[in-house]
This record gives sequence, C-alpha cells and structure tokens, in this order.
Amino acid sequence: MKQDFPIFLRKVNGNSLVYLDNAATTQKPACVIDAMSHFYTSSNANVHRAVHTLAGEATEGYEACRSLLKQRYNSTRAIITSGTTEAINLVARSWGESNLNSGDVVVLTEMEHHSDIVPWQMLAERKAIELRYIPVIDGELDLDAFDVALEGAKLVCVVHTSNVLGIRNPVEKIIAAAKSVGARILLDAAQAVPHEMIDFQQLGADFMAFSAHKMCGPTGIGALLVNDTAFDEMEPFMGGGDMIQTVTLEGSTYQTNEHKFEAGTPRIAEGVGWAAALDWISKVDLQQHHKRLLSIATSIKSSLQERGMTVYSPLGPDDAAVVSFTHPTIHPEDFARLLDAQGIAVRTGHHCAQPLMDKLGVSGTIRASLYLYNDDSDAEVFLSGIDRVLEVMA
Amino acid sequence: MTWPAAIQEIIDEFQEIEEQFERLEILMDFSDEVEELPIEQWTEANLVKGCQSIAHIEVELVDDAVWMKAAADAKIVQGLQGILSIAVNGSSPEDVLSLTPEFAEEAGILNSLTPSRSNGFRTMFDMVQKRVKEGIQ
Repeated sequence: MKQDFPIFLRKVNGNSLVYLDNAATTQKPACVIDAMSHFYTSSNANVHRAVHTLAGEATEGYEACRSLLKQRYNSTRAIITSGTTEAINLVARSWGESNLNSGDVVVLTEMEHHSDIVPWQMLAERKAIELRYIPVIDGELDLDAFDVALEGAKLVCVVHTSNVLGIRNPVEKIIAAAKSVGARILLDAAQAVPHEMIDFQQLGADFMAFSAHKMCGPTGIGALLVNDTAFDEMEPFMGGGDMIQTVTLEGSTYQTNEHKFEAGTPRIAEGVGWAAALDWISKVDLQQHHKRLLSIATSIKSSLQERGMTVYSPLGPDDAAVVSFTHPTIHPEDFARLLDAQGIAVRTGHHCAQPLMDKLGVSGTIRASLYLYNDDSDAEVFLSGIDRVLEVMA
Repeated sequence: MTWPAAIQEIIDEFQEIEEQFERLEILMDFSDEVEELPIEQWTEANLVKGCQSIAHIEVELVDDAVWMKAAADAKIVQGLQGILSIAVNGSSPEDVLSLTPEFAEEAGILNSLTPSRSNGFRTMFDMVQKRVKEGIQ
C-alpha cells in the first residue's frame, strides 16, 4: 500500500521513512493530494452562491464530502468543522449553552483528550455546571463509578478510542446506560473512525466528532454527526455569511440545515480532499487491516517488554494498534530524537491527555501508532532502531 | 563566519560526522561539560520554558566573566547545555552578547534553529544572553 503514499519516497536523515506517529496524523495518498491540487488548478471558486460554472463545481465537490460522510457513517446530519476539537466546542457552544443550566451535570472521563475536557471546563465557568470524571483503573474506565456518576447527568462525553493507549472503550454499554437516564451522549471518535466502521444511527449516540487527517484526509477539516433530535436542540453560535436565510438591519433568519453551523467560507479544497480520502478508504478492508496491525503491535509490545520497557497499551482485541511505552532510565525525548536520527517517527510527551498521564504516574510516554500502510518491515526497523538506542544509552 | 576557537573546535568535530545518530551520540558526550545546577536550586525563574524535558539554567558573573550552571533530565538537552557552557563560560559579558546561536546549525547539531524545532537550544541561548544583559545592568 505504501506506493499510494508519495511521502514514503523521501529519506529522513539518510534513512527510509518509518512513520509510526499515525495517532497524531496520517499520511495522504496521492489521490487526496491530486484532488486538492486539481481543485485549485481547475475548479477553485466559493460555494453555495454564484451561478457560474466554477462555483457549481466547487459546491458539488464540497457537498460530495458531506454526502459521503452521511452515507459512510449512516447519519442524517453531518456538520463540517475544522476538526474534532471544533466539533466538540460546537456542541459545547451550540447545544451546551442552550440546554445546560446551573447545577446540571456533564460526565467526562479521565481518559479524554484535552479537546474533550477544556471546552466543558470553559462552559462550566460560564454556566456553573457540574463536571464529573469517570476514573481510569488499570487503563480501563471504571464502569461502576460511571453508573453512580450518571445520576442526574444531562450529557455524557466519552472518548471512543484513546489516543494515548489505543484502548477502545465499551461505548455500546456507555451509550445504553446514558440513554437509560435520558442523558445526551457525545463520542470523541477521532481515533475510532480510522480503525473501524461505525454506524452512527445504530450506535445511538447523539453527537460524534472526528477529523479527516487521522484517516488519510487533509488537515483542517472534520465533522460533527448529530441525530435529528439533538440537531433541533442546537442554536447557531457563530454568525455570518452562508448560515443565514435572510438578513435585515432589524434581524436575521437562519438556514435550517447543517449550513446553520458553518458560517463563512468553508474549507472547500479540504472538503474535496476528504471526499477523495473517503472514496479511497471505502476500498480498504478496515477490519482485516485492524487485525493485521494489532498483531504487529502485539509483537512490538512483547519485544519492548523483553527489552525492559514498560508498555501501557493493553492491546485488547478491539483496541487500536497503539503502543505507548517508557524506559526505566532513558528520557522519552532522547529516545525519540535517536529514533528520528534513524528515520523513525514516533511521538513523545503527554499526548494532550495530562490527566491520564497523571493517572499512569508518568510525565510522558513514547508512542508508536500504526496505520494501514505500516507493515512487518516497519516493525523490524523500529525494533532494530530501539536496539541501537539501547546500545548507546542503557 | 569566524567563531571563537572553542566554538570552531566544536563545529569541526561535528562536521566530520556524517550520520545524524552519531552526531547525537557526540552531542550527549558534551553533557559532561555542564557544571551541574543542584536540584535544590531549580526554580520557576531558571526553568527553560517550552522544553519537552525539564531543563534549568542559572548564569553568574564572577570577576566580569560569565559562568553558567545547568541541568536537564534529557541527555540530548544536557548535551546542548554542555556546548553552550563551552561557548560562554569564562567569556566576558560583551563576548557572550556578541555570540549568535548559528554555530549549532553550522555544526549540524540541529537541522534548524527555528524556535519550534530547535529542541530548546535557541530558548536556552536567548536565556543566557538575557541573564548576562540583566547582570551587567
């Protein structure tokens, strides 16, 4: 599959690139790069307004992205955002502001990415709502504590698959429990949609946020899927062009569809690029790749443990192929720079999940995250790279 | 550009090495050059901000010469502090203030000195110069 991705032709510090930072962002196949380049070369115009040919092509290209999203994830609504972070902030501003009041409870987890903690802390400051966090015990959500925390909850926000550990949470159970108390539920699916097919309506969440760039699409674009009930409860928070029906000096009326939440000129080329990525990924058997990558990750995990590393990722059968680890004495930054010197890209640090790091008792980890184009040879290079680091450092 | 002899020696040493991995190995050897800042003297004021690792730098003026003490938990960062120590320790404040950080780039220690990619070297360099400036005022 690597031949679909031009970036693998380059050398990093004189070595072939082994890219294992996919939980941060994935590489782009040539068809995505070509689609965006083709858009700017031949169809560039603004969308939804002008009647000229280019405007029509641009609108079709951008709206094709929305149609593909609705179709792929079985959703009646797909609001295009700048990414997962903006999608979650949109729920906080447009649904939270008008449906949550002083004393209302929002349930979060200790496993959340900062983008699913900070918007709620900001809302809590504005509206005096109560935030309850589900603890993580031995890398898993404490579901007994969740049942208790649910009492009186208006909204539950949970990460579907952890960016740090790769753990896939039991979202089906969590959604059922949240629904039983009448709470709305938001899923952070940024790390989920790249690895598994999700039927949004069947899963039953009210909101689902994710980004294009973690599934071979462009950066700067993502989506919020919303069911019809929750959609009707949302008020627009960003005003401007494209989201209105009429504007007079006395007041305005708004669009009734997703455009109501997409003020201003949208990310048109990115929409075209994402549509190409969705088309490309629709031909990929995610389930088969998930199995393959998990098996590579599992073998990396045992090799790292044999070499004295602590591995935090449990790598259960449904988890994403993410291996987060530390060495007892080597600093993660040294590790990552010495791997980079060999052309191997991994991530270090707190992975935008400081509360989870606190829980794990570490300030940061080294994370190798795999995606569709990674193979056994990448694992071999990675492990021999690790050995070279150990030779000089341990 | 003409550099002071001690810096030129570092540049020459690094320029002989072709492989980035080996360059980092040599860089880590320079961590021995750091006069260590004891942990009890680590403060918010001498913390190097923006580093992934924990790093501290303290600068003193003794008999009109600059001396820095430093510490870092990552060995590569401590190696950078070692090189910085060689560049500034014992020099006059004027000489330290006339230095530019480009020697690290010329040596090939860093691919780039842009603040977001220079693993704190630029920040540490600026911090030393700022302290020297404050010290002579």
